[in-house]
Amino acid sequence: MSVWLRLHAHALAEALGRLARQPVASGLAVVVLGLAIALPVVAAIALRSVGAAAAGLDAEPHVNVYLALAATDEDVRRVETALRAHPEAARVRFVPREQALAELKATSHLAEVLAALQRNPLPHAFTVRVRTTEAERIAALRAEWGRLPQVEQVQADFEWSRRLAGWAGFARRALGVGWLLLGAAVALIVGHMIRLQVVTRGPEIEVSQLIGATAADVRRPFLYHGLLQGLLAGAAALALATGLAAWTSLELRALTDSYALEFKVIFPDLLEWILVLAGAALLGLVGAWVAVSQELRRFAAGP
Amino acid sequence: MIRFSSVAKRYPGGQEALRGVSLEVAAGEMVAVTGHSGAGKSTLLKLAAGIERPSSGTVVVNGQNLGALGETALAVLRRRVGFIFQDHKLLHDRNCFENVALPLRIAGFGREEAGRRVRAALDKVGLLARERALPVALSGGEQQRLCIARAIVNRPTLLVADEPTGNLDADYARAIVALFASFHQLGVTVLLSSHDDASLAALDCRRVVLAGGALA
Repeated sequence: MSVWLRLHAHALAEALGRLARQPVASGLAVVVLGLAIALPVVAAIALRSVGAAAAGLDAEPHVNVYLALAATDEDVRRVETALRAHPEAARVRFVPREQALAELKATSHLAEVLAALQRNPLPHAFTVRVRTTEAERIAALRAEWGRLPQVEQVQADFEWSRRLAGWAGFARRALGVGWLLLGAAVALIVGHMIRLQVVTRGPEIEVSQLIGATAADVRRPFLYHGLLQGLLAGAAALALATGLAAWTSLELRALTDSYALEFKVIFPDLLEWILVLAGAALLGLVGAWVAVSQELRRFAAGP
Repeated sequence: MIRFSSVAKRYPGGQEALRGVSLEVAAGEMVAVTGHSGAGKSTLLKLAAGIERPSSGTVVVNGQNLGALGETALAVLRRRVGFIFQDHKLLHDRNCFENVALPLRIAGFGREEAGRRVRAALDKVGLLARERALPVALSGGEQQRLCIARAIVNRPTLLVADEPTGNLDADYARAIVALFASFHQLGVTVLLSSHDDASLAALDCRRVVLAGGALA
């Protein structure tokens, strides 16, 4: 084995030994760090799951025009012509009452109830993509299209989904800031713990330097310690976040089933696991590096 | 081996420990630096071992100008010098074996080779039977010998000893002096200091006297 490899093997063994010699303190440190890392991981899982659910919602500006149940095919053609000719209508989609019933049967738990009905209770409808999102103009469109013959109701109910999409965007930006802040917290916590160890091992470091240890020799075992702590904390965070997400998934499934909604918790994939572990290890390494470098400068400067 | 040329050393605060010191120590030579406490003996030895840097003048060890070396190169040079500290600088939470093994661990020796060398060094100073003992369980003389074992374990060509017989009774001091004589006979260059001429009387070596930071 080369000297370089042996030095690294010694440093790794020393770091592992130090973790093993203080199982309670090491375990507590890993849990604290794991909790800090788990927070943004859980937030990311939640955000992505909500985002996926929200993606199925129609957030484009649109207005639904419902005809009366008695509307004839001729009425449908007349309304369609008027809507397509309107300058504010970007696209018009006709939803026949049969198709509306089929969709309702497919996406709800009301299939048996609907099947028991003597006739289709749903009207013909048009979904009109509009060019504006201004509330006043949409209100004017509702009033105008509501006056068309055989039109019974005009609804513009996309606002809440637009707001949801806006909040999701804000949450994504907030999560980015959260990653930064909690990442800094992890590096600081690891750095603080390593600094305490450096101070505790002051005599050994002093003697080692006097008899030929370079700054890299002194730094190496502490860096491995920081790296291992970060790695273990990352693993703890992923275990915690996945466990929490699995529990939430079970609870939500029971809830959403009763509303005939489909909401799935999206777990991190293998690449994301690796990224979280590598990021946590890197944070531990950076924290240890900063702490040891500061203390080494203090040793060099003397009392 | 070692050449001091017009060396001065001033510590922060203005204290001048050495001034205008010029001295040569040939390879394989043994030199004893004597003088009263505060004469600058420890500073001279630390400069020779690369633990301190001169404020002015040059210190050349094995052809390397210590003032021109970077921190890493200076640390690597210190590995080839065996230094026996006045206050021993032993690690009290490590046993004798681990204390002596420290320089080998830093140098990246394998476990087996390190074990052989540590036991040979402990045997040389008569402490092999105490390899698992903690330094606090040793007498002053034994601690001094443990410090010598750590200094020789890397088989240095230069041994530097700061007051190696200080605070030891006459019998222990004679044993320590005999050890240095044996290293010298093996061709090791030895530079040691003492404020007590009598303790070095048995040594056949060149003596230089420091007084007030200058060679007398």
